[in-house]
Amino acid sequence: MAAPDWTLGKPLRREWDESQTALRMTVNGKQVQTVVADRLLLCDFLRDNLELKALKVACGEGACGACTIVIDGQPARSCTLLALQAEGAEIFTLEGLNAPEGLDQVQQIFQQQHALQCGYCTPGWLVTVYSMIKRSIHPDSPEVAQYLSGHICRCTGYRNIWTAVRRALGAAMDESAGGEK
Amino acid sequence: MKEEARKSTGASPSREYIGKRVLRAEDIELLRGRGGFLADLPAPHAAEICMVRSTEAHAMVRAIRKERALASPGVIAILAAGDLDLVDDALPCVDMIPGTLDARHRVIARDRVRYVGQVVALVVAENRYLAEDAAALVEIEYESLPPVTDHMAAKNPGAPLLYPELGTNVVYQVTQCDGNADFAARDGDLVIRKRYEFHRQIAVPLEPRGVTAKLIDDGQRLHVESCTQLPQVLRLAVAGALGLALDHVRVTVPRLGGGFGCKEMVYPEEILVPAATRKLQRPLRWLEDRREHFASATHAREETVDAEAVVAPDGTFLGLRLTGWCNIGAAYGFVGNTPITAMGAMVRGPYRVPNLDAQMFSVVTNKTPLNVLRGAGGPQAALVMERLLDEAASILAIDRAEIRRRNLIQPGELPLDRGRTGFAGSYHTVYDEGDYPRCLEAGLRLAEYENFESQRKAAAACGKLRGMGIAMYVEITAVGPYETARIALQPDGTILLFSSIMPVGQGSETTQRQLVAEELGISMEQVAIRQGDTDEVPDAVGTFASRGAAAGGAAGRMVARELVKKILCCFAAALHCEPASLRWECGGVMVSMPSEEFIPLSKIPTRLALLREEREPRRIDAKHRIEIPKPSYSYATHVAVVEIDPQTGQLKIPQYTVAHDCGRIVNPLLVEGQIVGGVVQGIGAVLREQLVYDSEGHLLTRAMMDYVLPGASDTPAEFNLWHMETPTGFNPFGMRGVGEGGTIGSHAAIANAVADALRDYDVAVDGSGPFTPTWIMEALSRPPRAAIPSRVPAKKK
Repeated sequence: MAAPDWTLGKPLRREWDESQTALRMTVNGKQVQTVVADRLLLCDFLRDNLELKALKVACGEGACGACTIVIDGQPARSCTLLALQAEGAEIFTLEGLNAPEGLDQVQQIFQQQHALQCGYCTPGWLVTVYSMIKRSIHPDSPEVAQYLSGHICRCTGYRNIWTAVRRALGAAMDESAGGEK
Repeated sequence: MKEEARKSTGASPSREYIGKRVLRAEDIELLRGRGGFLADLPAPHAAEICMVRSTEAHAMVRAIRKERALASPGVIAILAAGDLDLVDDALPCVDMIPGTLDARHRVIARDRVRYVGQVVALVVAENRYLAEDAAALVEIEYESLPPVTDHMAAKNPGAPLLYPELGTNVVYQVTQCDGNADFAARDGDLVIRKRYEFHRQIAVPLEPRGVTAKLIDDGQRLHVESCTQLPQVLRLAVAGALGLALDHVRVTVPRLGGGFGCKEMVYPEEILVPAATRKLQRPLRWLEDRREHFASATHAREETVDAEAVVAPDGTFLGLRLTGWCNIGAAYGFVGNTPITAMGAMVRGPYRVPNLDAQMFSVVTNKTPLNVLRGAGGPQAALVMERLLDEAASILAIDRAEIRRRNLIQPGELPLDRGRTGFAGSYHTVYDEGDYPRCLEAGLRLAEYENFESQRKAAAACGKLRGMGIAMYVEITAVGPYETARIALQPDGTILLFSSIMPVGQGSETTQRQLVAEELGISMEQVAIRQGDTDEVPDAVGTFASRGAAAGGAAGRMVARELVKKILCCFAAALHCEPASLRWECGGVMVSMPSEEFIPLSKIPTRLALLREEREPRRIDAKHRIEIPKPSYSYATHVAVVEIDPQTGQLKIPQYTVAHDCGRIVNPLLVEGQIVGGVVQGIGAVLREQLVYDSEGHLLTRAMMDYVLPGASDTPAEFNLWHMETPTGFNPFGMRGVGEGGTIGSHAAIANAVADALRDYDVAVDGSGPFTPTWIMEALSRPPRAAIPSRVPAKKK
C-alpha cells in the first residue's frame, strides 16, 4: 500500500515546516511505506491517511478504548501513540480483523444480544474481543473483567456487552474444541 | 383465487411487528465500523478550525492580537466577533416564559467572557494540527472581573453580576402550585425540612460534537452538517443568525454517537462554522476534542432545593413546599430552564400530595451553560420526593413500602390534573392512564422486598453493610406540540420513510421501520428509512424528551396510513371506480374490478403505470403532521440493593429491579436496552461522576481521566426487569416514551439504598452525592447514630 507523504490526511507541504520521518509498517497485512509528520498521531494516520475509519477517537488520552487496534499481537490505544512509534510494527484494525462481508460470529452475537446502541465504542470492544479469543480467554475467567475495564460504553449499561463477550468467548472455545476432534 | 394470488406474490397476513424483539439492521454497518459518524465522513477540501476559548471565568476582552498566529504555517484566517457578519448573535432558548430575563447564550464573546471555554476566536488552518499551533499564538488581553461560581452566592444582592444590565443573576422564575398553596401543618402533623444539593455533571456521549459547512448549489446555499438532536431547529438558528432565507440553509445530521440531551442544543460552533464558511467561501470542519467537550458542551443537574413536607401521623403527605435554585452557568441552554421547572412539575411523581407550592429559579454563574441531561430535572425531583418518603417512614416508624402505598394515586383517579405545574407550553400537568400501585407491588415482589432484612443480616455477618432503596417516578414523555414525517412508495415498489427522529443509539431506524411495516402489513425489509435531512423533512420538532418512538414513530405510522389513502385514490382514478370499492389488506390493494384481485405493494407502481398507460412507474408521496396536544406519562418502580465494604468504602450493586410502564412497547429488546443503559448512567452519576470547579471558575475535571464514568464492573450483578403495558389514550398507538426513565429512577433508588446501608451512622443523604468511596469512608468515620431522631413537632400557625 503505497501512500504519499502525509500529515493529517493531506500531503505534507514544505512551507508548513513540519519535521518529518520515513515510516514503514504493516497494516491489515499490507505493507505501508511513507513519510509522516513526526507529531502525527497513530489514530489520525490510520483514520485520515489510510481511511481506516472503524477506530474512533473519543477521549484522546487512552481512557475509553474506542481507538483500540492490535499492534504486534497486543490490543493497544492508537490515540496515545505517534504514528512513528509504530515503526516496523504489524497493525490490525477492525477492518482487517472482521470478515470481508457481513457479520462474523462475534459480531452476530453482539447484534443478537443488543450489545451496542450508538455503536461509537463498538469497534474498540470488538478488537479487544478478537484479542481475547486469540488468547483463549475462558468466558468465566476473572481476566474478562480486566479486558472489559479498558472500555467505556455510555449507552448499554454493559449488561448486554458482558453477555455478548462471554457468549463470543464460549462459542470460540467450542469451535476450537470441535476443530481439534 | 384470492389465496393463490397472495401466495404467488408473497403477501401474507399482518406481520405483527409490534412487541417483537426485532434485531437492529443498523447494527451491521456499526459492527463493521462503518457507522458513518460525522468525523468519518469525507470533507473534501475542508480547512480545519480550532476554537480559541476563554481561559478566564469572568473578564472583559480588551484586545485580541492575531499577528503572531497569522504568521504561523498553514493558517488561513483568524476570526473574532467583529469579523463575522452575524445578524443575530443570540442562541435560541425555548423556555423563556413571560418575565424571563434575556441571558441568552452569545455565539461568540464580544467584549465580555463569562465562562472558561467560551469561544473568543476561530483559527482556520489547513489542518487541525496547524490550527492548534496557531491558536496557542492568539494573544487575548483580559481584564479580570470577580467571578461567581456558587449559585447560592450568586443569587444574593451584592454578588458580582454576569449581566450588569439585568441588575440580578436570578434570570428565570416559575411558580408551580396545586391544591391549596397556603397549606399549613395541623397539630400532630410531622414537618420535615431539608435542603437537597445536586452536583454538576456532563453527558459525555462517546462521540464528541462536530460541525462541517460548505456552500452548495453554485454557492447559493449553505450546507451545515452537525451532531445535533435538532436539525430543523438548527436550520432556523443558522438562517436567523446569518440573515439567510430559510431555504438557503440545509442541515443534515449523520448517525450520532450518543446524545443524552447534550446535543439537544444549538451551540455557538454550529453558527460559527457556517458563518466562517460563508465569509471565507471555503468548506470548513470543526471536530471537538474531549477537553473542549468538558469545557463547552452543556453541563447538567446542578441545583439546590429547600423542601418542607407536611405529613399526617399516618404517613400521608399533605403538602410540599419547595424553593429551588438551578446553577445554569453563564447563559441559557436551549432548554436550560427545563431542569429546574421539572422539579415543581414532576416532584410528586405517582404520589398524591394534594397541596404543592413550588418556587423555582435559574441563577447565572461563571460556569459552562447548563442544559438537559437524560431525565432533564426528573432525577432530582424523584430524589427529593423519595428521600422525603424515607425520612417520614423512619420518623413515623412506618414500613417504607407501606408509606408509599398510602400515598399512591389510585388507577381510578387517573387521568389526573396535577395543577398549574407544567412547562411553558403545557401549563397544567395532566397524568394519563396507569396503575401505580400495581407497578409498586411488582417491583417489590421482583426485588423480594419482604426478604431483605435477612439479606441484610447475612451481609452483616460477612462484615458488609447492605441497604435497599425504593424509588418511583412519573416521567413526562412524548412531548409535542407536533411531529412530522414523509413517506414515498418508490417506483420499484419499496417504501422509503423520511423520519424526523435522529438515530442517537436508541434504535429509531428499527422501531420506525417496525411501525410502518406493521401499518402496511408488509415485511420490514421493504421499508427503508432516511433521517436528519432538512431538505427532506423541513419542519419537525426533534429528538428529545423520550419522544422518538411515541411522537416520531406515531407520525411515521400515520404517514403510512396517509399513503394507503393516496394509493387507493390512485387506483380509484385509474380504474374509474369509487375508492370505497377498494381496500387495503395484508400489504396490498384488493381491487374488485374488472375482477377481484390482490395487488401487493411491490407491484403497485408498475400496475398503476400499466393502468394509466404510462411507460415509467411513478413514485407516490405522502406527508403527515401529527398534533400532540398532551404529553403522556411513563412511570416505574426501581428497587436498588447496595453493599458497602466498610474497610474500603467500595460499593457494589448486587441487585437492581425495575418494573415499568411505557405504554405499548414496539420492541422489548430495545426498551430493555434503554432501561439498563439509563440505570447505569444514573448509577455513575450518583456514585462516580462530578464536575469540579475551583473558586476562580476554572474547571478542574477536564478529561475522561478526571471525570470517572461508570465502567463494566459498575453494572448491577443481577438485573430484574418487568414490563407493564397500559396503552395511553394520549397517543394514537398507545405509546409512551422510555428513553430517560432508567436514569430518573436510579438516582433516587441508589440514594435511598446508600442511606439505608448507612442507617446506623449519623450521615445525611441529602442530594445526589456523589457517594464515592471517599464520601462513604468519611460517613463511616462519624459516630454511630444515637437513636431514630424524635418527631419534629409541627409549628403552630
